[in-house]
Amino acid sequence: MVQSTSQIWARHVIDDIHAKADIGRYRIRGFSTFQKVTHFDDLSFLSTGLTRFPLEGYKEKCNTQVELGGRHASEPLVLETPVYITGMSYGALSGHAKQALGTAATMVGTASCTGDGGMLQAEREASEKLIYQVLPSRYGFNPHHLVAAQAVEIVVGQGAKPGTGGMLMGVKVLDHIAESRDLPSGIDQRSPARHPDWLGPDDLAVKIEQIREATDGRVPVSVKLGACRVSDDVKLAAKAGADIIVIDSMVAGTGASGEALLDHSGIPTVPAIVMAREALREMGLYGEVSLVASGGIRSGADMAKSLALGADAVAIGIGALIALNCNRDIPEADFEREVGVPAGDCHHCQTGKCPVGIATQDPVLEARLNPDEGADRVANFLNSMTMEAALLTRSLGKSDVRSLEPEDMVALSLEASAMARIPLAGTNKVFGWD
Amino acid sequence: MVRIDAKNLSATEINRRIKDAASSADEIKVVNPQARHNIAVGVLQPCNITIEGSVGYYGASLMDGPEVHIDGNAGWALGENLMSGKITVTKDAGASVAASMRGGEIVVGRNAGARAGISMKGGTLLIGGNAGFLTGFMMQKGRIVVCGDVGDAVGDSMYEGVIYVGGEIGSLGTDAKVEPVSEGELIELWALLEQHGIEDKPRFRKIVSEKKLYHFDKLERLEMSAV
Repeated sequence: MVQSTSQIWARHVIDDIHAKADIGRYRIRGFSTFQKVTHFDDLSFLSTGLTRFPLEGYKEKCNTQVELGGRHASEPLVLETPVYITGMSYGALSGHAKQALGTAATMVGTASCTGDGGMLQAEREASEKLIYQVLPSRYGFNPHHLVAAQAVEIVVGQGAKPGTGGMLMGVKVLDHIAESRDLPSGIDQRSPARHPDWLGPDDLAVKIEQIREATDGRVPVSVKLGACRVSDDVKLAAKAGADIIVIDSMVAGTGASGEALLDHSGIPTVPAIVMAREALREMGLYGEVSLVASGGIRSGADMAKSLALGADAVAIGIGALIALNCNRDIPEADFEREVGVPAGDCHHCQTGKCPVGIATQDPVLEARLNPDEGADRVANFLNSMTMEAALLTRSLGKSDVRSLEPEDMVALSLEASAMARIPLAGTNKVFGWD
Repeated sequence: MVRIDAKNLSATEINRRIKDAASSADEIKVVNPQARHNIAVGVLQPCNITIEGSVGYYGASLMDGPEVHIDGNAGWALGENLMSGKITVTKDAGASVAASMRGGEIVVGRNAGARAGISMKGGTLLIGGNAGFLTGFMMQKGRIVVCGDVGDAVGDSMYEGVIYVGGEIGSLGTDAKVEPVSEGELIELWALLEQHGIEDKPRFRKIVSEKKLYHFDKLERLEMSAV
């Protein structure tokens, strides 16, 4: 018996063509890709048995502190837990959301990051460890903010939309956002894809030196890449002098992106980490250049698996926003009326109508997010991630998350085995590599 | 006056000495810069800096307040992200001069390369000679004055701000248009030129955004208005 409806011309495909027939352009949305890709659920840890002893899962000391960017910086970024809040712009997010994320990061001893809209003073005041992004747009870029940062991140690409710049629909470019970005109010803002002052990797090396000169070599300089041609890009970024390389995969989030890019560009997080690790190893720089993974990190288990694959830390965006109340049916919200879908199905960040006050500039909606209560929830989530990662680490007989390694895991699918370069469960075979 | 002989110094050491002198010296003179990259980067207070010779990439960049005079040529991204202050270079400037500049004034004595004034967000960029292709690319605010010719695609995708061209225009960029210049504007521009020792009085043409790329042609229902 075949299906009663077409797999190729499924309902969502028909709806998509109808929408494009109405508007005559690519569609735009937020959240992350809807593609089904190999992810961390396809990996499993091999906890201890008789071959090694576990640590007491709830008691014994397990280090979660990591240091990033010690390659050149005299003041590396020290995080009490190997997860920080990724760059999300003030503009895409409300001021309350940015403030809450910064506060939460400080509560757990980690960092938050600015985004494509310059630095919000409230986030600076909230976040003790603020990563200041250098984006192609340079919206609101201020050297005074640069020198006050605890790390600097040069954004080459973003996993959700590699090869293009940011996007902020006019409905969110209200006067205060337009002013902070030096743009006309209400425009459908499409940020530059290329940096204004450098183009290729040799120029990037000079740019990194410039940032070091401006910051007196104190803070790490990070380079963020959308995960596409990972091996080459990582090698070029490392050669250019990056202290930290961030690999942002195709499942990473966004406030707005052309759907074609969201769903049809880049590679998943698991192979991205492995390719980056191997690229650094080939250069003899694995362990010297810090590696950060981002894209679809949902839990301490995902974080622990990222570290086991070779990352030094992870960065989260959507996970932190969900902790803030994204897609939660709070009493003040009416998801069906305000965004046309029930709580749990919302991916309408681009519309500025966020019913929970996160991805909006509307003061009425923003008031639904109490920044202090939001910070508590995000800090709780970050703490839970830390505890989960430590729990798994102890179960492996290890007392430090930095000791996690590929040998600690098996793959649960052929694809995951090939992408993670670890054996398929029940075999001794690494598919595609042996 | 503090004199820094850069001949055997690294860029880092040159910058350290400039920053150390910035708060106390009435004038800082750098000799033998040897076209090094990243000279006079990140100076965030008013001071006077003279560089006798050419600089490489990112000369006098990420600054707020200083007046810098470069007697020579400059490489890419001279004066990048200037917040306030003034930079003059007597000869040529490479690509991306005044990239993302937010305020102050940058004056190029002769020609500038491609992407002059790219992503400018404020201030004035004055070029005594010609400027290359994509001058004023994605410019957001501010003023670019080119006394000579500009290359192709001038003002491409610019938002606001204005580009004045005294010579020939290679071609207009996407969403750029030529607009009439008022006599008042001409008088103001000629005064600016005179102030910088330029005697010519070109009949400038003015390039601004056509503003047809401000919005997508059509929006989906939820993209249209705030709640």
